[in-house]
Amino acid sequence: MNNIGEFISTLETEFDELAPGTLKPETKFNDLDEWSSMYSLIIIALIDTEYEVTISGEDLMSISKVEELYEMVKLRMKQ
Amino acid sequence: MNPFSLENKTILVTGASSGIGAKTAEVVANLGATVILTARNEERLLDVLKKLPKGEHQIIQADLTDDEAINEIVKQVPNIDGIVHSSGIVKHYPVKFISKKQIKEIYEINYEAPVVLTSSLLKSKKVNKGASIVFMSSIACNFPNKGGALYSGTKAAINSFSKTLALEHAPQKIRSNVILAAMVKTPLFDEAEKTVSKELMNKHGKQYPLGFGEPEDVANTIAFLLSLASKWITGTEIVMDGGLSAGM
Repeated sequence: MNNIGEFISTLETEFDELAPGTLKPETKFNDLDEWSSMYSLIIIALIDTEYEVTISGEDLMSISKVEELYEMVKLRMKQ
Repeated sequence: MNPFSLENKTILVTGASSGIGAKTAEVVANLGATVILTARNEERLLDVLKKLPKGEHQIIQADLTDDEAINEIVKQVPNIDGIVHSSGIVKHYPVKFISKKQIKEIYEINYEAPVVLTSSLLKSKKVNKGASIVFMSSIACNFPNKGGALYSGTKAAINSFSKTLALEHAPQKIRSNVILAAMVKTPLFDEAEKTVSKELMNKHGKQYPLGFGEPEDVANTIAFLLSLASKWITGTEIVMDGGLSAGM
């Protein structure tokens, strides 16, 4: 994961319902029409399998934007 | 003699360091049983042991995913009259994230460990005639949730294992049953709450006519299944869900 662009494209690939280019660093997850509880599960599993970083549902609730998620993952990858 | 009494019975409890396992150890010891507690964390096992009434209870620190540890338990335990399998993990993976690694992770502890422990104890003739075996399963095997493919699968597999065991060992009057539990307030509950968020969990709780379960609720039913009072019950599934699946 070199930059946020790469991170976003990884996310978009997993969400089949999202048209490429929908996600921006400032996009709020809750504003997405397709947002559902399934998305949280996918994000948690994706970040676990792709980056070997554990985030919880509570972690996800504590942030709202794509860039905040990126920062959280980046920080935990370093630890 | 009181058919609900567990006096003169020795019961092996896995996952005995916390949650349903710890509460079960306490409940069955109070009904007169001698308890052998096993789990990975020795310190927490000792804490549970301290709460038990006086007796010949013992703890065996063991990681059940390790074959050697299972051999060690089989060697160390005296002849037993009951096994309570309550060790286990809950992990959620959406279908498309499942690979052999995730399968191994969940099946090792939720399926292989209880199966191999049971068969090893039987093979070594450590299980007395008339013994009762109880597996902690989940209503998720009939009503899976998103992300629960692997977890639900391990529990469905355990149900079938238990039924086969009941059939094969009926001549020795050894019984085997599973408890299909819904959400019970254990450390696993707290973990699940962290994963899916408190908000979602509270919403889920509103669907339970009697609310979420307490470890004691399940432990009492386990004690009944271990006692002579349930001597005609085998190869079955007991649903404990506070009315969740009763209807709308």
